[in-house]
Amino acid sequence: MFPQFGATAETLSKASTMVFRIGTDAHLYDDPEDVNIAPLLDSKFDSEKCEALKRLLALIAQGFDVSNFFPQVVKNVATQSLEVKKLVYLYLLHYAEKRPNEALLSINCFQKDLGDTNPLVRAWALRTMAGIRLHVIAPIVLVAVQKCARDPSVYVRKCAANALPKLYDLRLEENTATIEEIVGTLLNDHSPGVVGAAAAAFASVCPNNFPLIGRNYQRLCEILPDVEEWGQIILIGILLRYVIANHGLVEESIMRSLCCKENCQSGKDGLESDSKFTMPEDNSDIGPNYESELAYMVSQCYVEGPDEYLSRSSLLSKVSSGSKLEFFQSVESNEDVKILLQCTSPLFWSNNSAVVLAAAGVHWIMAPIKDVKRIVKPLLFLLRSSKASQYVVLCNIQVFAKAMPSLFAQHFEDFYICSSDSYQIKALKLEILASIATDSSIMLILKEFQDYIRDPDRRFAADTVAAIGICLQRLPKMASTCLEGLLAFTRQEIFTTDFGSVDGEAGVLIQAVMSIKSIIRQDPLGHEKVIIQLIRSLDSIKVAAARAMIIWMVGEYSQLGELIPRMLTTVLKYLAWCFTSEALETKLQILNTIVKVLLCAKGEDLLTFEKVLSYVLELAKCDLNYDVRDRACLLKKLLSFHLHSQDVDRERDYLPENKELSRLLAECLFLRQTKPISPEPYNHRIYLPGSLSQIVLHAAPGYEPLPKPCSLVGDGLETNDSGELATNSGSSETDDSDSLSGSIGDESPSHSQHTVTGSSGSGGSDEAGSASEDDGNTDPLIQISDVSNTHKRQNGASQSGSTDFGELLSNRALESWLDEQPGMSTVNTSEPSSVHRSSARISIGDIREQVKAKSYALLDPVNGNGLKVDYYFSSEMSNVSPLLVCIEVSFKNCSEEPMSGITLVDEESSKDSDSADQALDTTESSKSQDDVPTLVSMEEITALEPGQTMTRVLQVRFHHHLLPLKLALYCNGKRLTVRLRPDIGYFVRALPMDVETFVNKESQLPGMFEYKRSCTFIDHIRESNKDKNDSSLVKDKFLEICKSLALKMLSNANLSLVSVDMPIAAKLDDASGLCLRFSSEILSTSKPCLITLTIEGKCSEPLDVSVKINCEETVFGLNLLNRVVNSLVEPSPTHL
Amino acid sequence: MLQCIFLLSDSGEVMLEKQFSGHRVDRSICAWFWEHAISQGDSSKLQPVIASPTHYLFQILREGITFLACTQVEMPPLMAVEFLCRVADVLSDYLGGLNEDLIKDNFIIVYELLDEMIDNGFPLTTEPNILREMIAPPNIVSKVLSVVTGNSSNVSDTLPSATASCVPWRTTDPKYANNEVYVDLVEEMDAIINRDGVLVKCEIYGEVQVNSHLSGLPDLTLSFKNPSILGDVRFHPCVRFRPWESHQILSFVPPDGQFKLMSYRVRKLKSTPLYVKPQLTSDAGTCRITLLVGIRNDPGKTIDSITVQFQLPPCILSADLSSNYGTVNILSNKMCCWSIGRIPKDKTPSMSGTLVLESGLERLQVFPTFQVGFRIMAVALSGLQIDKLDLKTIPARFYKGFRALTSAGEFEIRS
Repeated sequence: MFPQFGATAETLSKASTMVFRIGTDAHLYDDPEDVNIAPLLDSKFDSEKCEALKRLLALIAQGFDVSNFFPQVVKNVATQSLEVKKLVYLYLLHYAEKRPNEALLSINCFQKDLGDTNPLVRAWALRTMAGIRLHVIAPIVLVAVQKCARDPSVYVRKCAANALPKLYDLRLEENTATIEEIVGTLLNDHSPGVVGAAAAAFASVCPNNFPLIGRNYQRLCEILPDVEEWGQIILIGILLRYVIANHGLVEESIMRSLCCKENCQSGKDGLESDSKFTMPEDNSDIGPNYESELAYMVSQCYVEGPDEYLSRSSLLSKVSSGSKLEFFQSVESNEDVKILLQCTSPLFWSNNSAVVLAAAGVHWIMAPIKDVKRIVKPLLFLLRSSKASQYVVLCNIQVFAKAMPSLFAQHFEDFYICSSDSYQIKALKLEILASIATDSSIMLILKEFQDYIRDPDRRFAADTVAAIGICLQRLPKMASTCLEGLLAFTRQEIFTTDFGSVDGEAGVLIQAVMSIKSIIRQDPLGHEKVIIQLIRSLDSIKVAAARAMIIWMVGEYSQLGELIPRMLTTVLKYLAWCFTSEALETKLQILNTIVKVLLCAKGEDLLTFEKVLSYVLELAKCDLNYDVRDRACLLKKLLSFHLHSQDVDRERDYLPENKELSRLLAECLFLRQTKPISPEPYNHRIYLPGSLSQIVLHAAPGYEPLPKPCSLVGDGLETNDSGELATNSGSSETDDSDSLSGSIGDESPSHSQHTVTGSSGSGGSDEAGSASEDDGNTDPLIQISDVSNTHKRQNGASQSGSTDFGELLSNRALESWLDEQPGMSTVNTSEPSSVHRSSARISIGDIREQVKAKSYALLDPVNGNGLKVDYYFSSEMSNVSPLLVCIEVSFKNCSEEPMSGITLVDEESSKDSDSADQALDTTESSKSQDDVPTLVSMEEITALEPGQTMTRVLQVRFHHHLLPLKLALYCNGKRLTVRLRPDIGYFVRALPMDVETFVNKESQLPGMFEYKRSCTFIDHIRESNKDKNDSSLVKDKFLEICKSLALKMLSNANLSLVSVDMPIAAKLDDASGLCLRFSSEILSTSKPCLITLTIEGKCSEPLDVSVKINCEETVFGLNLLNRVVNSLVEPSPTHL
Repeated sequence: MLQCIFLLSDSGEVMLEKQFSGHRVDRSICAWFWEHAISQGDSSKLQPVIASPTHYLFQILREGITFLACTQVEMPPLMAVEFLCRVADVLSDYLGGLNEDLIKDNFIIVYELLDEMIDNGFPLTTEPNILREMIAPPNIVSKVLSVVTGNSSNVSDTLPSATASCVPWRTTDPKYANNEVYVDLVEEMDAIINRDGVLVKCEIYGEVQVNSHLSGLPDLTLSFKNPSILGDVRFHPCVRFRPWESHQILSFVPPDGQFKLMSYRVRKLKSTPLYVKPQLTSDAGTCRITLLVGIRNDPGKTIDSITVQFQLPPCILSADLSSNYGTVNILSNKMCCWSIGRIPKDKTPSMSGTLVLESGLERLQVFPTFQVGFRIMAVALSGLQIDKLDLKTIPARFYKGFRALTSAGEFEIRS
């Protein structure tokens, strides 16, 4: 009737959207540059300025760079119109860091605005000024923040709190104390809104300054419910950390399992104990039981972080447990714990999921076990809030449920799966359901699982089958009935798998057989019939992996029960018959199974089996796949005693004892009893509840486990711990030297001779050889321990190449050659241009002896009345604490008169008590971090004669790895202030490791843990020039480069040289591809820090060195990288 | 803390970026994210927390708009996710919905809002009431004004007084000629009926939504006749915890306008208002499907907007479905939608038809799940009843209104 109606509707809707767009900023976004922006900015009308700024923001939103308008925009900061102001601020914040000089122009205006009567203007000015983040204006901002922290307006104070982290980001080390003081003031604020923001500032500025919290603890707890939600999240975390640091863990909590475990372990001499451990009697009245193994691990992970825990548990080195007991408090007796639990419990009703989760985390860790169940319902209710938070909450519940299944056992219905859930949520729910199933709920859960199996998402169905398997392993009572179901399932799938139209179906079937297999393993005898049924269904199951598993079962349980042995002949014949049509994995499994059966067989069956075997072996010999052929050859050799009936003549030379031997060998290989299933090793990485790390399952930068219990007051443990650490590191140090000397000892002169002849390809190494001979008995500095030949590699016969060399090289060299493979390949792949390039490893001998640490002047004789003080960083380890760095200080008397009473002390401790309460504050804060002193006092030099030099060792704790430490030097009773500059290169210690470990570790620290910089290296040129002048001996350039690089690195940082890979290039002058690896670990945290240098360029020219650091601590790594690059670039002092 | 927020359109275009910290996040992360989202297939089922090679990403999807936030350091992930949800709520409240055009047209407001809501990566002001006073939402008047005069500022030049008050959610001293409060119980029923037709899970998720227009600083108390049925509760920050703990009474100073006072859950309900009976029989490469819908328990009020949806399994080639009541639509993504509306008096609505399976398949191995939608006005199916609503402070007269609504949440019938 109305053919044009559709069109009309369309235009109508268009028109209506046009109407809606009128009066909005649509045209500005769509076409921001249709007018000239610059003149608008200079206009005297606010509306025109507004339009121009909006156009600029539109361009920013679309990703264009409009920073060239910066000067014009900054001018407008002086406007009276708040709207223009806001827009200018938005623009300014986006570009301030790019145009620091012009940004400074705006400062005056901000200063003026800070005195405005309108609090909104003050707040905006403060926010923007702090947001500019320029070092130059930092002091001004600090003053502004100090002022605004006392502003009458709550909003301004809140903004002041928010400005603190911005200031802190600038690393104003001199002002840290002031910043922390402001944090303290704001935490003390009476308005809850300010306290929330102050908590956030505390968390990012000084998260370990617990005395600041301690002062206000009670008040903070009480104010917690009134703090705005975002502040609550942070404040809860801070309070939890404080309570643990101050009072330790709670005796009745789940963390208690930690100490139980320790007890029982110490009783068993540190052996890994089984989980049969019974709880002490005070737990008998507590209803819910929990998986002590996992709970123990959970608590350990919370305190130590999973990485340390896992590495430590593998070493089985446990801290002695005696002292740990002291760290437990009872809730009843401890007011602070009680009040924290009280004040966080109403937060379970919060509208904000993050608050609820944070509160639940506190109760999980601190509440007595009988009260932990309070977290269950709030957590489950979170699942209904939004899809996005559902995933995060489930990830956390998963850990809770695994450690303490009884908590959630009642509420299994909440984990039923909806069809609208995403796959990850489904998988999480399945896992939780499988771990909380109990004898009473298992029937309902299995019923539910049956529905899931028919879900159109087959990946999910396969997971469900796996979950059924896990349920039945946990609750063997149900196993027999459910096995029937699973079996029926394998039979039912036959129809679909035959057609192979659905890929997922195969996965489901494989999963089903796998589940059956794992259940049978628990009790093979009881499930004999199941095995038989599976074997019978072999004919109809077409999926290779499932078939292979069933065939494996035939071999494994061939002697089980009554019926199976009788079936064997038929089954084997059947297998032999269908051998040719099988897939690879099934074929291999058939071969194995027949051998297994054969080795157990007796009597007349034996003959049949032997026939079957030789038949199958014949078939396998002609197989297309070389794996099958190889396996057949191996078996034929191994089982020749069984096959002798066929080819008697060929096997005649076999001696009887040989026969016995090979039989034994075969039995070892095939009849080894499969181990009884050990409880699944808990290798989960567990992080604090509610943390990002728990979701991504690695420690995100900035993640910190809970503080050590009672670290705030306890001192006994502290020294104990550090002492142990120190001895550990000491032993590793000796290991280091051992291995070094060992490697030197291994390389006898004759060996090095061999290696040199082996390296026929590269010309330079001949000289190296002769050089080593020249040196005679003294260890050569550089040795080529192994070389692979380019020529041979190109033939592709690397195998034969290795055997050739095998005779030439020492065993050690061969091993390392084999080890080296992956490392070389990475070098090769990194340079696709040089496909045929191979590389060799150079081992540099005792280069450490040549390392000379750089020395710095602490005090000039001019300033020090003739006392000259130099210092250099030593690679020694402090025996007090890993936080301390050892420094050797040499005092020289350059004056004419003797000096006396020379000593160096920490400046702060030497200050008079009346100087300022600020000083008190800082010492307090520094103490709180760890009870490590800033300076372990040195032995006083009583007298220093003119011209005499004395050396002392200082142990210093730098609070920051970039800023100098002020020390007071006393000499002749006078006090001098000196500045000790830290060297980040010595905040690490050498961590010797082999290349394989290095490459492994490196691959664990990818992406954001990897930093790169390039620089130019010229030292070697000078070196070679010098050599030309003073000696006729021409050294190998490569070795020269390696040596100078390595020396340079080692004399600037405490590293350990892992390997030097040298390219064997066609061109002798081309050093590209040379690769040096160094390893170390950070002193304070023992986190590994790996350095790789890769070199590009010609030997005789400046080289491009690209430095790569892999380190978990982002900031530290970056700083170290800068330091390394700087030290490489700067010319070295002539130390040769 | 958060370093940056991106707003992405449904085609992956970056509509807006807002940086918070000195460590600028490059836009290329969005390209990475979009590729990741495509590789995962259904973008609505993407994980909310993703570890990209350079950043940790948090994302939520609202009506086609992806809110993407980045960080490089440890922070509570739920805080980021909740904050993004809050941003989405505020924006959709300001703009009257969310879509690509609305955001682009009002990008200045979005920028200004984001700037107020988050400072240095930490949430600053998220209370809608304060935001409304700081930045005026676009409305017809302001639009017309801006067209006519070419000049209008939506940025307020005074600090909202609520920032300083102890009830930051409330605008101080609003004046109304008619004082009125409306309380709505809005409930959603989640249910799962398994293959045997057994109700395995049935619960109500409900919200108490209040629309308050009261002058001054009113102090309200709301009590229920049967608070004991409430399993779990969560409250708006305005609710005082003590009275609830002791007497299960909600005592609060309400924000102005519409807000969610509390949400609750009532578990283990015994029956559903509707029954849906699917029947699938398959052989010889086809599948016969019949679906019956009827009233099981009459709630006393009409049930309307009844729909049944299901996703056809991937192995189905074609479907021929018809119903004796309502309309059946099959969408391109094999989603089948039967809208019934109200149940007629004279007959039981039924849908039937045949599905043709992929060649080679003898019979159906996987079965669809049916999602049921319905709405019942003026009934709270949980049985929760409001006892009374009192104004404590001012004895002035005010008008009270109570309503209820129940609709289907995750109402699933497996076959």
